[in-house]
Amino acid sequence: MPTIYIDNKPYEVKAGKNLLETCLTLGLDLPYFCWHPALGSVGACRQCAITLFKDKEDTQGRIVMSCMEPVKEGACISVSNATAKAFRGQVIEWLMTNHPHDCPVCDEGGCCHLQDMTVMTGHNYRRYQYKKRTYLNQYLGPLLNHEMNRCIQCYRCVRFYKDYAGGEDLNVFAAHHHVYFGREKDGILQSPFSGNLVEVCPTGVFTDKTLKQHYTRKWDLTAAPSVCQHCSLGCNTTAGERYGKIRSITNRYNGAVNGYFLCDRGRFGYEFVNDENRITQPLIRNRVPEAVDEQSLMDHLKLLLTQSRTLIGIGSSRASVESNFALRQLVGSENFYQGVSLDEAALGKLIASILQSGAVHTPSLKEMEQADAVLVLGEDIWNTAPIMALSVRQAVMNSAAANALQQTSIAGWHDAAVRELVQDNKGFLANAGLTASPLDDISTCTLHATPHDIAVMGFAIAHAIHPGLPEVPQLNNELAAKAAQIAKALQQAKRPLIISGPSCYNEAMIKAAFDIAGALNTGERKAMLSYVLPACNSMTLAMMQAPSFEKSIDRINDNTVVIILEQDLYRSIPPAKANAFFNRCKNLIVLDSLHNGTTEKAQVLIPAATMAEADGTLINNEGRAQRYYQVFVPTTGMVKESWKWFWQMRSLQTSSGNGLELHPNDWLTKLEKTLPQFNGISRVSYPPEFRIHGQAIPREPHRYSGRTAMLANLAVSEPKPLQDNDSPLSFTMEGYPNRPPASLIPFFWAPGWNSIQSVNKYQQETGGALSGGDPGIRLLEQKTGTPTAYFTDIPEALPAPRNKWLLLPAYHIFGSDELSAYSAAIRELCPEPYIGLSTQDTAELGITDGKNITLVAEGEEYTYPLKIQEHLCNGIVLLPAGLPGMPALTWGSWATIAPSLKNNAV
Amino acid sequence: MQALTNRAKPVDRKPMTFVERLYLWNIFKGMLITFKHIFKKKATINYPEQQRPFSPVFRGLHVLNRDEQGRERCTACGLCAVACPAEAITMEAAERKEGEENLYREEKYAAKYEINMLRCIFCGLCEEACPKDAIYLSETFAPANYQRKGLIYGKPDLLIPDPVTQPEEYKQALGNRANKQQQAN
Ligand code: SF4
Ligand code: SF4
Ligand code: SF4
Ligand code: SF4
Ligand code: FES
Repeated sequence: MPTIYIDNKPYEVKAGKNLLETCLTLGLDLPYFCWHPALGSVGACRQCAITLFKDKEDTQGRIVMSCMEPVKEGACISVSNATAKAFRGQVIEWLMTNHPHDCPVCDEGGCCHLQDMTVMTGHNYRRYQYKKRTYLNQYLGPLLNHEMNRCIQCYRCVRFYKDYAGGEDLNVFAAHHHVYFGREKDGILQSPFSGNLVEVCPTGVFTDKTLKQHYTRKWDLTAAPSVCQHCSLGCNTTAGERYGKIRSITNRYNGAVNGYFLCDRGRFGYEFVNDENRITQPLIRNRVPEAVDEQSLMDHLKLLLTQSRTLIGIGSSRASVESNFALRQLVGSENFYQGVSLDEAALGKLIASILQSGAVHTPSLKEMEQADAVLVLGEDIWNTAPIMALSVRQAVMNSAAANALQQTSIAGWHDAAVRELVQDNKGFLANAGLTASPLDDISTCTLHATPHDIAVMGFAIAHAIHPGLPEVPQLNNELAAKAAQIAKALQQAKRPLIISGPSCYNEAMIKAAFDIAGALNTGERKAMLSYVLPACNSMTLAMMQAPSFEKSIDRINDNTVVIILEQDLYRSIPPAKANAFFNRCKNLIVLDSLHNGTTEKAQVLIPAATMAEADGTLINNEGRAQRYYQVFVPTTGMVKESWKWFWQMRSLQTSSGNGLELHPNDWLTKLEKTLPQFNGISRVSYPPEFRIHGQAIPREPHRYSGRTAMLANLAVSEPKPLQDNDSPLSFTMEGYPNRPPASLIPFFWAPGWNSIQSVNKYQQETGGALSGGDPGIRLLEQKTGTPTAYFTDIPEALPAPRNKWLLLPAYHIFGSDELSAYSAAIRELCPEPYIGLSTQDTAELGITDGKNITLVAEGEEYTYPLKIQEHLCNGIVLLPAGLPGMPALTWGSWATIAPSLKNNAV
Repeated sequence: MQALTNRAKPVDRKPMTFVERLYLWNIFKGMLITFKHIFKKKATINYPEQQRPFSPVFRGLHVLNRDEQGRERCTACGLCAVACPAEAITMEAAERKEGEENLYREEKYAAKYEINMLRCIFCGLCEEACPKDAIYLSETFAPANYQRKGLIYGKPDLLIPDPVTQPEEYKQALGNRANKQQQAN
């Protein structure tokens, strides 16, 4: 480790870094704008100036940009000497000449990097007295607000949007002192990662438009560590509340998972918590009045639950581990099912058993970024796991950069230089899917084929890598050539990554992905295998091996009580089938947070808490258990975590206790004991009694305002602060004022660092893991010496039935997820329902784009407009999955198509 | 226990005598003081018929100000609330819609603005913090009220009358201090 001298003090630092990140890692305050730990340095803003001395004797020194200067053994620098300070003061004064006097109106105020840096440099009086440069702002869609006058030309936005995330519709225009950051013309930003501009831009140019609807300053938010509920990756978020409403979601850095970024579904999909459609009162149907209080509910449940009836529980992939396990305990393991179709349950079970076998390594998102060759087998990760797509993009870019850097001595953080060197080179990515994906632009090899062909190609790749595996009979030439190309690239890699998932409803594909990863695993080559899953907690149900609820239908009679946990079964099976199921349920208890088709059918409806009102644990697709914490206590209604309700029901059955004895951690300990595959999960969080110096961790910043006024209009006498018995967090601003442990960080803040850039102060090294290790407990580790149990059942090519199409889902980042579609802004971006067919199929059918056509699948008819999918392979019909208002379909079945008669009559 | 400071005086703990226990002398001493006050100047005045002169920097009830065109000045930035040592101010911001430019000066305004007068210590820090000259403390007393509820002041209680439509009321609400200032200008 080299030693450098900063202001005459020696420090041992890490080689290969630049001086800015080194200073920040050491805890020094050095202002910067254009540098970002994830984007590297370009030396554009000149704000990070320091003085570099020739040697110890040199007293003059020269000004350098710390972000552009590598760490050198024995280097002498000064952060605090007068020249450097004056230089930095000058730079910020220039930057501020055109900056409006806007802070009180600006949404960034209070979490603004520009404010922080201005205060840090000590610039407080403006000498510039002339007219300021002004711009027109643009309409950028429902998610982001644009206020160009606040721009300081640091170029971070375009560097993130174009270079990092691959977006094409945000750019920099004009020249001189009139550069403009925006779109060519007004319009919705196309990248699903656009929301990150809110945090990447150090000023208030890009701000959260959904927050504007109910604006609250960062210091006035009651916040808690949360986990995104909108896909299976489990990105870490911070949810902020005021006046009983969730106001915003911001990124919560986790070095192993989402790093600095979230996708727009996760960032803006929070408004379901505030929805008018929330269930807040228990209902007992066919009673007057239907809404009941807790006591009547319990009396009613007591009758239902204790008359020695069979209980059937249907677990949910969007409810917490605790809630699912509590239900399983209540009904008994043999009566516990999950609310997905037979096929989906089987696919989940297969994925969980592959990963639980321990034969291959399943990577974190951070590890994925280090991959040097990537194969995506049939999963549309851009839409089903957006941040994974962003990680794959980084893998492609990073490996191209690593190749280019082999011949030079340039450091990897030298962003502009590296890009110059790399030009258009890309690392290896093979993307096989049903139809076009934005990832195709950066892939070396793309394939648009049927799930069967993709799976077969997968087996061919496995065979090419490991000739001991069976050969695919009658492989067509195109697939054979692609397989050979991909196999070669994967074999040349040191850290190949294979990604697949269940979204094509094809078992063989999942097996092929495993075979490839298994075949690649040799002494020095460590293959990574990652599967996407359908929902935020699908992994838990897959690991519990819960069968599909369709299997329970025959068991239901007038004497069974069915309990459905937090889900709408109409989203997983077609209406006719679901109705048949509900018709058999004479005693139906449903717990959910929002009214939907399933809650309509409930005889007893119980209000369940959402992630904002609950403590719970989710297990993401890599098997990482992560805790999310309650953000606030709802003041109206009787919303409670489902696991609390279940334990209360349990105590009704056993007539002991009041149902409030167990905390989430107790549930997890019980779970470990009952199901050993969850071993270690109880370490996911601290016990509720955990204190630092006797203090709990406050959910509110010390500047939180209005405490004695907020509730005064309701009752003047101030109530006692709310107690949290389930976690070490408190609902007040009092408590441990310093950095809490990594998994308990309710918001990022450090003295002088009010913006999200304060995350620097929480990391072991800048851009690295959080101090004390990144949160989350991994449950699926590779076990050395596990033999690879290859799958050898290569599916046979079955000729498609005549005039039939394979019905498959098309996923949409906005719309396919149930909860995020409650946000008005997201709903605006949802596509309209359509039926997608390939160009050739459309031509043969003689129908035109945009005309209504009718699809018949499993005896049900669906009529929607046709949308020609240029890149879709023939023989497949795509319908958007899970759009609000669209019924579920039998994915993977054969459907017929006819031009719609209804449409032609109109 | 060790004393915290060296100023502690030991207390004389010897038991009282019978005469001391009668307290007669002590009661008499007390009455004497009360009696002497009859001849002193009164400390109270007959409010509200009589009023005390205020210092020119007296800090009374809050006013939410408008600009010359009658638009609300407050932009709901929250700086007054964060400055308030009694945590007595709370507000909710809203976006100004098209066509409301005559109502609100800035593009954001306070849809709700409440001060808990029971908590307020009339320190004036909110006035000092406000970057928009929107809130200031007038010369008016906070009136008494039979119900505590009545002392939670919302926007209707705090907003100054519109100078365009109600110039008289506006002048009155502005108070002497502001009027004097205007005359001086
Ligand atoms: S960008 Fe920051 S410094 Fe500029 S007006 Fe907004 S809060 Fe103030
Ligand atoms: S818009 Fe923001 S990120 Fe982009 S250059 Fe301006 S200040 Fe920097
Ligand atoms: S006068 Fe002082 S205590 Fe009263 S509201 Fe203003 S800042 Fe708060
Ligand atoms: S009164 Fe002034 S300080 Fe308070 S919110 Fe309004 S503008 Fe901001
Ligand atoms: S951060 Fe170093 S020049 Fe911008």
